[in-house]
Amino acid sequence: MGDKQLDEWLQSIASEGAALPVTERRGFLKQALTLFGSAAVGSSLGTSAFADAQNLPPNVPVWTRSLGSGVVSNPYGKPSDFESHVKRRTVDWLTADRIASVSFTPLGDLKGIITPSAVVFERYHAGLPQINPHEHRLMIHGMVERPIILSMEDLMRFPSTSMIRFLECPANGGMEWRGAQMDRLQFSHGMLACCEWTGVMLSTLLEEVGIKKDARWILAEGADGAHMSRSIPMAKALDDAIIVYAQNGEALRPEQGYPVRLINPGWEGNTSIKWLRRLKVGDKPWHHREETSKYTDLMADGSAREFTFVQECNSVVTCPCPEKPEKNKGKLWIEGLAWSGRGKIKHVDISVNGGVSWRPASFTSQVLPKALTRFGLEWDWDGSPALIQSRAVDETAYVQPTYGQLRAVRGTNSIYHKNAIHTWKLYPDGKVSNVQIS
Amino acid sequence: MALIILAACNQPGNSQPALVQLDPARIGHYGFGSVAKADEIAGWNIDIRPDGKGLPEGQGSVEDGEWIYEAQCAECHGSFGEGVGRFPVLAGGMDSLRDFRPTKTIGSYWPYTSTLYDYIYRAMPFTQPQSLSVDETYAVTAYVLYLNDLVGDDFELNQHNLANIPLPNRAGFTRDPRPDVANIRCMENCRDPAKIKILSETLPSVQQDYTSGIEPASTKANAGQSIYTQACKLCHESGLAGAPVHGEKDQWETRIAQGLDKLVSRAITGFTGDSGVMPPKGGFTQLSDEEIRLAVTYMVESVP
Repeated sequence: MGDKQLDEWLQSIASEGAALPVTERRGFLKQALTLFGSAAVGSSLGTSAFADAQNLPPNVPVWTRSLGSGVVSNPYGKPSDFESHVKRRTVDWLTADRIASVSFTPLGDLKGIITPSAVVFERYHAGLPQINPHEHRLMIHGMVERPIILSMEDLMRFPSTSMIRFLECPANGGMEWRGAQMDRLQFSHGMLACCEWTGVMLSTLLEEVGIKKDARWILAEGADGAHMSRSIPMAKALDDAIIVYAQNGEALRPEQGYPVRLINPGWEGNTSIKWLRRLKVGDKPWHHREETSKYTDLMADGSAREFTFVQECNSVVTCPCPEKPEKNKGKLWIEGLAWSGRGKIKHVDISVNGGVSWRPASFTSQVLPKALTRFGLEWDWDGSPALIQSRAVDETAYVQPTYGQLRAVRGTNSIYHKNAIHTWKLYPDGKVSNVQIS
Repeated sequence: MALIILAACNQPGNSQPALVQLDPARIGHYGFGSVAKADEIAGWNIDIRPDGKGLPEGQGSVEDGEWIYEAQCAECHGSFGEGVGRFPVLAGGMDSLRDFRPTKTIGSYWPYTSTLYDYIYRAMPFTQPQSLSVDETYAVTAYVLYLNDLVGDDFELNQHNLANIPLPNRAGFTRDPRPDVANIRCMENCRDPAKIKILSETLPSVQQDYTSGIEPASTKANAGQSIYTQACKLCHESGLAGAPVHGEKDQWETRIAQGLDKLVSRAITGFTGDSGVMPPKGGFTQLSDEEIRLAVTYMVESVP
C-alpha cells in the first residue's frame, strides 16, 4: 500500500469514524482496520464507499433529523472534519531535517485563486519562530535621513493597502530538471500560493525615512534564527514591494512571517523576507548566503546567474492530477492555474495529445497581475491514454517554454526557476502520472 | 502621499512598473515610531558586504578555529567540511560545476569571503545562532578557508585582510539575462505525434519512496525516529484509530508499565484493545521485527 493510498484510507476512516456515535465508532474502526493490510484496497474504495444508504434519498439524513452544535463551538472556525486530508505535506528526503525545510500547498484540493492561509506552503531556514508582536520591532536605517524603529502598532498607523498576489519559491518544481521525479501535483508545483496581502507600501516607509542620493539597494533581514537576508534593488522597493501584516483578512500566520513580512510581488519567494526585523538602505548589494551559495542558477557551462528575481510565466493542470484520478469517461472538466511574475495572464492553451494540437482554455477566475489565474476547458474523454498539458502566455507575450527549450539554454543543474510546460499522463483506468516527454 | 509617476506607456510587452518618486518634503511626515539610536542600531547591525563594510574589529586564527569547528560545526559539516547526511558540504568540489552532480562549496562556488563571515555570525551554529563572539567567528571563518586550501595553517584573519582574500569562483557569476527562451503559441500540427516519447515517469499510484535520499541513520535512536516518521506517525501523531499520541504521557504511562517487550510484541503481531486497534506492524509489514522494536523504543523514550 503506497503512502498516498494509506493516507487517504486513514483519512477516510478518521472522517467517517468521527461522524459515528462512540459505540458505533469502535466497531467501525475494527471493521475498517481489518481490511487494513489487504492489497484489495484500491481507488474504488473512496469516501463514497462509506456513504450510508440511510442518509441518501429517499431517506432523510440523520443531520436533518437532529440539532447541530451551537454558536461559538469553534470560535475561530476550522474546516469540516471530512476535509482533514487537505493539508500541507513534506518530502523528508529533500532536506537534512525538518527545521530548515519545506512543505507543500495541497493545490489539487483547492478552488479558485486564493490559497487558505492555513495551507500555504512553508519554507523555514531555522524553524518557525514564535514572536510576541508587542516585543517585535522593525528597524529602518542605513543610507537614510531619519532612521526609525517601529512597533507593530506604529506600523499599522501608516496608510494601508491590499493586493492579491502569488507567492512562489523559485525552487518550485526544481526536483524535475533531470526528469519526472515528484509523483503528485502537491510536490511538483506546491511551493506556490496566492493570498490577499495587506500592509504598508515600502515606498511609503522609504519616503518617511528619506533615502540618500546614492541609495540603490535595501537589505531585508528576518528575526528568525537564520536572520534570513536578501538584497532588494531600490527599483522594486519603490515599485510594488509591500510590508505585510495581514493575509486573507486575518493577521499573518506564524508560518508566513507573523507579525510582519516583506512581499515582493512576482519575485522569487525567498526575497519576501518573513518575520521582518530590519531594512537597511545601501548603495550596493550584500551578496549574502541566500543570494550567492543559494538562489543562484548554475548553468551547464559552470557559470551561475545571480539576482534572478522574477518568477516567469508558468501554469499547471490541477485536475486531473495524480491525487485526483479520473473516475469517469465522457465529459471532463480540465482545469488548472497559471501565473506570471511579469503581470497578467493573457492566454492559457490546453493539449491532450502531448502538444500536437492545443485549444484555448477560458478563465474561470479574475485575471489579476502577478496572481494565480484559474482556467478550464471541457473535454470529451473517450478513455484512451492522454498526455495533458497547459501552456500559459502572459501580457508581455512570453510563452511558457518546453523542458527542451529550458534545458538547451540552462542545462539541468540550475535548481531554480523551472517553469516548463508540465505533462500529466492519463491512463485508461483514470490514474494519472507525472511524465516528461521528448 | 507619494507622487506617482506612471510609466509613459504601459503597453503589452513592456512591463515597466509605475515608479514612485519620493518627496523629500515628506521625511518624517507621519512621525510614527521612534528615531533609532546609535546603540540600538549597533545591536542589530550585523551585515557584512564583499568590500568588508560592516566587519567588526577582531581577529581569529586557523588554529583557534579548528577547536571551535570541531566542537560546534563538525557534527553536521564533517571534520573536513565534507558534510554529514544532507547537511552542506563546505570544502572540495573544485572544478565540479560542469559535472552532472556539481559540488557547490565555499571553495568551488561561493564568490565572496565576506559571505562566509556574515553567515557564520548571522545563522550558525544551526542550533545556537549568534552565539559565537566576533573573534570566534573570525577563527571559524579562517578555519573553513583553510579547509578549502585557501589559506595556510598559520593564518590569522581580521577585519583588514578578510575582504582581500579572493575566492576562486569570484568571476563565475553573471546577471539575469531572462527571458532567455522563446516558445511560440502554435495551435495545430505543432509536432509529429510519432516522435513523442516518454522520457521519464513517476508511478501513477503514488508509490514514491519518501526515504530514498535519507542517509542510513547512524544511531538506534535516529533509526527509530526515521521508522516512526515513515510508518507510525500517521496514527500516533494524531491519535487516529485510538493510537496513543506520541509524547502524551497520560496515554503512554499504563502501556509502558506493561514493559517494552509486550509493547513491541503487540506492535508486531497486532492488537485490539478497549480504545483502539493496532494493525500488525501498523500495516507496514515490510518492516522487520527489529525495525518495529526501534520505532517503539523511540516512542517510549519520547514520553516525558
